[in-house]
Amino acid sequence: MDYWIEPLRYIAFGTGMTVMLTFGAAIIGIVLAVPLLLMARSRFTALRGLYHAFVHIVRGVPTLVWLFIAFFGVTQIGIVLDPITSAMLTLGMIATANMAEIYRGGMQAIPAGQWEAAHALSLDRSATARDIIAPQLFRAVSPSVATQVIGLLKDSALVSTIGVADLVFRAGLMTQNYGNGLVMFAFAGLIYLALSLPVGALSRYVHARITRRYAVV
Amino acid sequence: MSDFSWLYDWPAHIPNLLPGLWTAIVITVIACSVGYVLGFFLALMTEAPLRAVRYTAVVIVEVGRGLPILVLMYIAYQGLPQVGVLLDPMPSAIAALTYSAAAYSTEMIRAGLASVPRGQFEAAAAVSLSRADTYRFIIVPQAARISIPPLVNLTITIFQATSLATVITVSEIMHHAYLSGSINFQYMSVYVAAAVLYLSITLPGAILTGYLEKNLGSPTKNARRTSIRKRVTTKTPAGV
Amino acid sequence: MSVPSMSRARLQSENQAAMNAPYLTAESLTKTFGEHRAVDEVSLSVPQGEVTSIIGPSGAGKSSFIRCLNLLEVPDSGRLRIGDDALQFGGAEPRRSEIQAVRRHTGMVFQAFNLFPHLTALKNVALAQMRVLGRSRKEAEDRAMAQLERVGLADKAGSYPGQCSGGQQQRIAIARALAMDPDLMLFDEPTSGLDPEIGAEILTVMRELAADKMTMLVVTHEMEFARHVSNQIVVMVDGAVIEQGEPDKIMSDPEHQRTKQFLSAVLGR
Repeated sequence: MDYWIEPLRYIAFGTGMTVMLTFGAAIIGIVLAVPLLLMARSRFTALRGLYHAFVHIVRGVPTLVWLFIAFFGVTQIGIVLDPITSAMLTLGMIATANMAEIYRGGMQAIPAGQWEAAHALSLDRSATARDIIAPQLFRAVSPSVATQVIGLLKDSALVSTIGVADLVFRAGLMTQNYGNGLVMFAFAGLIYLALSLPVGALSRYVHARITRRYAVV
Repeated sequence: MSDFSWLYDWPAHIPNLLPGLWTAIVITVIACSVGYVLGFFLALMTEAPLRAVRYTAVVIVEVGRGLPILVLMYIAYQGLPQVGVLLDPMPSAIAALTYSAAAYSTEMIRAGLASVPRGQFEAAAAVSLSRADTYRFIIVPQAARISIPPLVNLTITIFQATSLATVITVSEIMHHAYLSGSINFQYMSVYVAAAVLYLSITLPGAILTGYLEKNLGSPTKNARRTSIRKRVTTKTPAGV
Repeated sequence: MSVPSMSRARLQSENQAAMNAPYLTAESLTKTFGEHRAVDEVSLSVPQGEVTSIIGPSGAGKSSFIRCLNLLEVPDSGRLRIGDDALQFGGAEPRRSEIQAVRRHTGMVFQAFNLFPHLTALKNVALAQMRVLGRSRKEAEDRAMAQLERVGLADKAGSYPGQCSGGQQQRIAIARALAMDPDLMLFDEPTSGLDPEIGAEILTVMRELAADKMTMLVVTHEMEFARHVSNQIVVMVDGAVIEQGEPDKIMSDPEHQRTKQFLSAVLGR
């Protein structure tokens, strides 16, 4: 039993890196998606087009490719980034694109009548946005945002391929040193599950409470 | 030492990557066809009356959804040999992606089945349709309208996930890219070429999904659109 | 499970006094949902070839009761005799074959229509005929057209429910139920989801069915219909039958205080 403590401990310490990358990317995404949402709903076709191009390209290329571009590819341009920075930028970009789409979808779930009612009450744009739209948007997108965070958690595993010492990287290293990949990777997997299940349960709980108190949007 | 040649010489790498594209497509097709069928049964299991069945299904699905696909691949390739299952890289990747496809599709299929109003089950029961016929003629066609767009989306995602197989030495796009790029250290060119190749599948896929979402979706939505001209002054709770 | 011939004879002699032999007899049916007793020992006979209406305030258990009769809800206790079949509740769960046997006798029309939205009117009416009764496609569709004509919607055969008005949809639903050749038609508030004007077209169809001597059990709020078309009215309140009898008697001179209360609130409809 003691035999396992060393490697498993080593793997477990990767949790910090994984969590940092995940939540770092999530925050970047949640914040940067707001201006993107405005672009998506702009009256200028060019801005909307830019938004759609950005989202489709970012989402249409696998995360691994973006990571490799951000780490290996940029060396060709003469930029050298350390793995963690590459990872954070990449995951942040992907998070932004996904969150923006979630916000956009959430806006479409808000009935047009809400804006009409706000106009009828002579609410100005910022009050409408802050008091009427934002709360409903929050309600509409919370489950999806939670799901997206879990998605980021899993995507973060890919940073192991560019040498970031996260859970998967460490599990791989321990497999090299100690053999027994099943135990190592299963252990890492368990940590991922442990990290994601509470988020999922919390999201379901919040969603159930929210939709119980209000009529279906 | 800035080199922007990659902006125009990435196409040169494309032919080298095409064999990888084929591999990726094959893996995707196998993983999704088997995976979605498994997902259907898992979806039924999650609504089964027996608690043991329900819990088993939920565990299978939550583990499949909760683990990163990369971890699943490593387990399939480097982990399973421990219990005597020795898989080559390609079957390992297929196994990992099949499990993933099954786990993720379960919720989509379940949501589609749940979107069918209870009244449909009751109407089918009232005319004595058997359980199998009820699903086949009434429930699944209506569920499909809801399930198909996300399933198409999932297929595109699985296709993108084949890129991970490179870490377990499967000879798909990324692997060919690495080989092609390391010739002259033209990593940007080659990975841009790889990106373009992926986009050549995912962009049409996204368009397809968008089209399906517009033209499938709930029947009420579509029916109301077609009958606007003929609308009578009564409420029409079609399918409600 | 068939009623043995000896008690069938007893059944017939018992009911010689009644106008017609009952097609359906419910004995002390009870159905509880959680804490709430929706159907409380309800007994009812539905005579053959006649129209029986069930009226009463909302939440009285009328819908729950009628859904017990085609086993969309399985009663917790009591007995049901329908045609040649009988079922006892309270013990084991009824088998699928028993449920199907009972359902074959009945056709149901729902408040929400419940048409199959992805099928045309014709297919809605033909599907169960093919899959359950084993009729060929041609026969099923011919009979479907005949039923659609009967309800006045032959021209809508190729339309989807979403392209039809509420009244038309309900009529298609009636045709769908009739196409299975039921012996008993169950109507669960068929006009409650419709504007009164449109509801009239449904009531007309139902009147024609009654004139054709179809055995009908109707849960309704339409008092005019209940009075003029029914042979028997049953008043349900809080899950129990508080009064039943001839329509004219019930409507103009009810015995029960609660019935009086209910009628004064709704009369004029």
